[in-house]
Amino acid sequence: MERVARLKLVLWMFVGLAAAVATARFLFGLGATTHLSDGTPWGLWVGFDVMGGVALAAGGFVITATVYIFNLEKYHSIVRPAVLTAFLGYAAVVVGLLFDLGLPWHIWHMMIYWNPHSPLFEVGWCVMLYLTVLTLEFFPVPAEDFSALARVRRFLIKFRIPLVILGIALSTLHQSSLGSLFLIMPYRLFPLWYSPILPVLFFVSAVGLGLLMVIFESHFTAYLYRRKPETHLMTPLGVAARWVLILYVVLRFGDLTVRGQLHDLLGGQGQVKLFWVEMALMIVIPLILLFTPQFRDRTNWQWATAAIGVSGIVLNRIDVGGLADLSRGTRLYIPEWTEIVVSLGIVAAATLVFLVTIEHFRVWERRPADPNADPRKLPEFNKVGLTWLGTPVIAGRVKYSLAFVIAAGVGFLLLGNPRAASRGVEPTPVHRARGNVMYLKTGLVNDQKPTGTAVDGEEGVLYLDADLTGYGVTFYHQREVERNGGEKSCVLCHHMNMPRDRDSGCYECHRDMYLPTDAFRHDWHASPTGANLACVECHAPGYARTSEHVKPCMDCHKHLVPAGATIKIKTYMAPSYVDAMHELCIGCHAKVALKENKPEIARCVECHKGKLNYADAQNLLYRRRALAGRLVVLPPATPANHSEGK
Amino acid sequence: MKAAILTDTTKCIGCSECVLACKKVNHLKEDVPRRWDTDDGLSARNWTSVIGEPDNKFVRKQCRHCLEPACVSACPVGAMHKTELGPVIYDSSKCIGCRYCMMACPFGIPRYEWSTIVPYVRKCILCYETRLKHGQQPACTEACPTKATIFGDRDELLAEAQQRIRNNPGKYLNRVWGEHEVGGTSVLYISDMDLSFLAYGEHFGDKPLTQTTRVAMEAVPFTFLGVGMAMSGLYWIIHRRMKLQTEQASEDTEHQASPEE
Amino acid sequence: MTAWIDFARGPLFRLCFALMVLGLLRIVLITLLGVKEAYQRSSDKIVSWKEIRRQTIGWLFPVARFWRERPIYSLFSFLFHVGMIVTPLFLASHVLLWRNSVGFGWPALPQEVANWLALLVIVTGTGIFLGRVLHSGARELSKFQDFVWPLLIMTPFITGYIASNAVISPRAYQQMMLIHIYSGDLILLMIPFTRLAHCALAPLSQLVTGIAWKFPAGSGDRVAETLGFADRPTWVPKARLATAPDAAQPDTKGESRK
Repeated sequence: MERVARLKLVLWMFVGLAAAVATARFLFGLGATTHLSDGTPWGLWVGFDVMGGVALAAGGFVITATVYIFNLEKYHSIVRPAVLTAFLGYAAVVVGLLFDLGLPWHIWHMMIYWNPHSPLFEVGWCVMLYLTVLTLEFFPVPAEDFSALARVRRFLIKFRIPLVILGIALSTLHQSSLGSLFLIMPYRLFPLWYSPILPVLFFVSAVGLGLLMVIFESHFTAYLYRRKPETHLMTPLGVAARWVLILYVVLRFGDLTVRGQLHDLLGGQGQVKLFWVEMALMIVIPLILLFTPQFRDRTNWQWATAAIGVSGIVLNRIDVGGLADLSRGTRLYIPEWTEIVVSLGIVAAATLVFLVTIEHFRVWERRPADPNADPRKLPEFNKVGLTWLGTPVIAGRVKYSLAFVIAAGVGFLLLGNPRAASRGVEPTPVHRARGNVMYLKTGLVNDQKPTGTAVDGEEGVLYLDADLTGYGVTFYHQREVERNGGEKSCVLCHHMNMPRDRDSGCYECHRDMYLPTDAFRHDWHASPTGANLACVECHAPGYARTSEHVKPCMDCHKHLVPAGATIKIKTYMAPSYVDAMHELCIGCHAKVALKENKPEIARCVECHKGKLNYADAQNLLYRRRALAGRLVVLPPATPANHSEGK
Repeated sequence: MKAAILTDTTKCIGCSECVLACKKVNHLKEDVPRRWDTDDGLSARNWTSVIGEPDNKFVRKQCRHCLEPACVSACPVGAMHKTELGPVIYDSSKCIGCRYCMMACPFGIPRYEWSTIVPYVRKCILCYETRLKHGQQPACTEACPTKATIFGDRDELLAEAQQRIRNNPGKYLNRVWGEHEVGGTSVLYISDMDLSFLAYGEHFGDKPLTQTTRVAMEAVPFTFLGVGMAMSGLYWIIHRRMKLQTEQASEDTEHQASPEE
Repeated sequence: MTAWIDFARGPLFRLCFALMVLGLLRIVLITLLGVKEAYQRSSDKIVSWKEIRRQTIGWLFPVARFWRERPIYSLFSFLFHVGMIVTPLFLASHVLLWRNSVGFGWPALPQEVANWLALLVIVTGTGIFLGRVLHSGARELSKFQDFVWPLLIMTPFITGYIASNAVISPRAYQQMMLIHIYSGDLILLMIPFTRLAHCALAPLSQLVTGIAWKFPAGSGDRVAETLGFADRPTWVPKARLATAPDAAQPDTKGESRK
C-alpha cells in the first residue's frame, strides 16, 4: 500500500476509537469517561486539545504575516498549507472544547452573556472571530473549482490584507490570553510555570511553534506524497525559529531570576524534572540542532528538529494546563485512556480532512494524486470471496470504513470500565458499609435521612434497595426484632448465604442481595453524625489500622450474638438480605395466610410491588419449595468467596 | 448590610448539624462515595462539611464568599455573581460548564456534578434564594447548637471577633481568617489552630486575585489596536519601499537603455 | 463462570453490537454509493423506480407468495423471521438490561407471550432446517453456512427458554446463560460479514438488481479481463446487450429520469 493509504487507514482507526468514546462521553457524562475530579477540574482535553491545539495552529498567522506583511514572496507557496493547518487546528480546538465543556450545547452563551473581566471570555471570542477570519482566508482555494463562486472569491481576495492584519491581531491576543487564563491561580500552578509574564511567554513560544510546525508539516506531506522536500525554503524558517527560541529562553529565565525562583530548579519534585524535560525538548535540543549547519540544512534533521520542538512546546501547554498543577488532592490526575483516545481521534480527523483537502483542491501548485485514484490501476477483485471491490476509490472506501468500524467496536469493548457501566457510581463492595442503600422511607423523595432516627413514631423502618435501582421493599426492622426475641434474634436473619443462590435469574439483578453483607458500618461509626468515635477507640494505638488489630465488636455490643451462635463476630459477616428477608417473611406470611385465610398476603407481589417479572416469580416459588423449613448456617465466607461474587 | 458568617472553631463540637440543615434546605441528595470526592468532605451534594483535626478540634468548611471573588471574575459568561447582600450565587442557566471557576477559586470550593450528563457547578450560596432574601439567616447558622458559627453584618462580626480575641488572651491565635486574605472574605474564622489548610498555598496575599488578570485584560484593546496598527504600518512602509525600488529599477533600466538608442 | 457471563454481556456484547450496527450501516452506505456510481456510469439512465418499489415491498411482506411453491416452508420461514426479530427486541429482561446500561428502555412483551414466541422460533427453525435438508432441490442449492445458520440462530432461543423457565432445569441456569449470551454475541458479530446481512440489505436488493442491468455496454469484456479470462469469449452475446430487454421497454411515464 502507498504511504498515504497506510496512514489514512491508521487515522481512520483512531477516529473509530474516538467515536466509540465520544458516544460514552455524551451518554454518560464527564465523570464516566475522564479522570477529572474536583481537585483537578481541567485535564488533558484542556491542556492538549484546546491549549495545544491553538498553539499548533500558530503557523497560520506567522506565515501570513511573513508573506503578506513582510512581503517575502518566496514563501508564497506555503501560505495555503499553513492557513489550512491553522483552520483545521482551530476547528479541532472547537471540537475538543465541545468534549470538555460540561454543557457543550451552551457554548453560544459566550456571545450573549458577557463578562469582559474573564480571560476565557476573550479567548472564546478571539477563537470564534479568528476561525471566521481563517475561513474567509482559505475559502478562495476551494472556490477556485466552482465558477459560480468566482465573484465571492474575487471579493475575498480584495480584502485579503485587512483580513490578514485582523488575523494577526486576533492571534496575538488569544495566544497570549491563554497564558492570562492562569494568572488568577497563583496557588495552583507550580512556581516554575506561574509568572506574571505568562501571556508574553505564551505568545513568543507560539511564534516559535508556528515556524516549527510549518517545517514539520511541509516535510511530512512531502514524505507522504513523495514530493521534493522544500528544504531550502525551510532553512531560513529554522533560523528565524532559533532567534525566537533564544528570546523565549531569555524571557523565561530572566523572569525566574527576577521572581527569585531559581532555587526551585534544584528541587527534587516531579515538577522540576518535568521542567527540565520541557526545556530539553523545547529549547536545548532544537537550539543545538538549529545552530549546527550540517543539521540545520538537512531535510531529515529539519524534520526531527521541528518534531522535537513542537512536542516540547505542546508539552509546555499541557504542563500549564494541568500537569504542573500542585497536587491538591490525595489523588493524582493521570489521564484516562479515553481522554487520550479522544485527543488522538480529533487530531486524526483533522489530519484526514487536511489530506483530503490537499488531494481535491489546489492547496499546492499541483494537487497530489490520491494513490487510490490512479486511473491506470485496475479495479480490485477479491478472488477469495468472488466479490468485486470496485474501482480503486471504492476499494479504499471499503478498507477505510472497515478500519473505522472495527476500531469503533474495539473502543466499545474497551469501554467496559465499571464507571461507564454504572454511570459514575463507584462500585460499593458489599462487604463494606451499606449505609447508603438503607434509607428511611418517609414519603419525601429528597428527604432521606440516615437510619436510626424516629419517623412517624416508629424506629428502624428500612427501605431496602440493594440493587440500587430505586425500587425497594419497606421493611419494619424494629418490629421484626421485637417479634423474634430482641437482640438475641439477630442471628436468625444475619447469617451466611445459601448455596446455589446464584443459580437463578434473581441473581442477575439482585446480585449483592445474595452476598453475605456487613453488619458493621465503619463510616457510620467514625462519622460525626453517627457514633462519632475517634479512631483509637476501636483501633489499638501503635498498630496498623486494619480489621486485624481492632477491638472486638462484642466489647461494646454485648448482646450482639447469642450464646452458641455459629458466626464468629470477627468477620462481621451477616447473611444475604434475600435470605434474611425470605426465610422470615415468607414463612410467617404463609402461616398467617393459612390461618387468616388471606392467600394474597403470601404472594410475592405483596412485598415486591409490581417490580417482579414472571421468570423471577417462578424462581422464587421454586426456591421456596426447595428451602422450606430449612435454615442453613454456613461457616464464615473466605475472601475467595467474595471476589467470585464481584 | 453585608451578610457574613463568623465561625469560632473553639466552640465547634463537630456535631454536623449545620451539614444536615444545609442538606435539608437545599434539597441535596444522599452522599454516595465517588471517585472525584476530595478529602475535605465537600462535594456537589455537600456544600459545607466539618473537618476533624487532632485533639478533638473541628472546623467547618464552606464557600468564603470573597469580597472580590476570583470565580466571578473568571466565569466567561457571568454565571457566578456577587450579590449586593454578600453571597456569591450561581446561575445554572448561563453556565457552559468550562469549570474555570473551580480552577480559579483559591479555596477550592466549587464542586462539579461529574456523574450526570447535565452537570452544574455546586457550592454554598448562603441560602440566598431560600432564606436570605426573606430576611432569614442561613440554615447552618440557625442549626448550630453551640453558636460556634453565627450570622450577621460583616463589620459587626469582625468587631465581635476582635473583641473575643482581646477578651480571651491566649485562647485564640491573634488573627481573623478572612479579614484581609485575597481582599477579604464574607466568612470569617477565629481559631486556636492555624487554618491555612483551608486554602491553597501556605501564604496568602492580601491583594484580590482578580487584579492579576485585570492587568492583562486591560491591555487587550491596546494590544489589539497596537498590533493592528503596527502591521498596517509595516505593510504600508514595506510595500511603498518595494514600489519605489521597482520604480527605481525601471528608471535605471530606462536610463541604461537610453544611451544605446 | 459469572465472570465469563459478565464479560459476554458487557464488553463483548458492546463490541458485537457496535460491529453489527456500524457494519450494517457501512455496507448499506457502500451499496448505495455503488448504486449511485453505477447509475452515473451507465449508458442507459432509464430506471423503472415504480417497479422496483413494488417488488421491494412485495418481497419484504411476501404474503402473496406463500401459496405459489412450498407453502408450509414459506409460512414457517415467515414466522421464524418474525419471532426471531420480535422476541429478543421486546423481551422484558433484555429491555431491562438496556434500561440499566444506557438509561432508557421501551415497552416489553409479557413473559407469557415471549415464552410462546421463543417456542415458535424453535419449532419453525427446526421446520425450515428440516425443509432444507430433506428437500433435494434446496439441499443442492445450499452452501455450508445455510445449514449452520438456522441451528446457530436457534441456540440462544433454546438456552434462553430453559434459563428463563427455571422449573425445567434450574441447576443449569448459569450454563444455559453462558451459551445463550455467547451464541447471541456470535450471531450479532457475524451479521454484517455473512449472508445474515440481508437483514439490512434486503430492502435494497431489488434496487441493486435493477441498477445492475444498467452496466455500460461491453462491461462483460472488462469483467472477464479483470478475472483473467480475457482470451475466452464472454458468455453474454454482445448482440443481446445492445437490445437489453429492460432498455427496450422504458418506463416512459416520466417519473424516472432524475
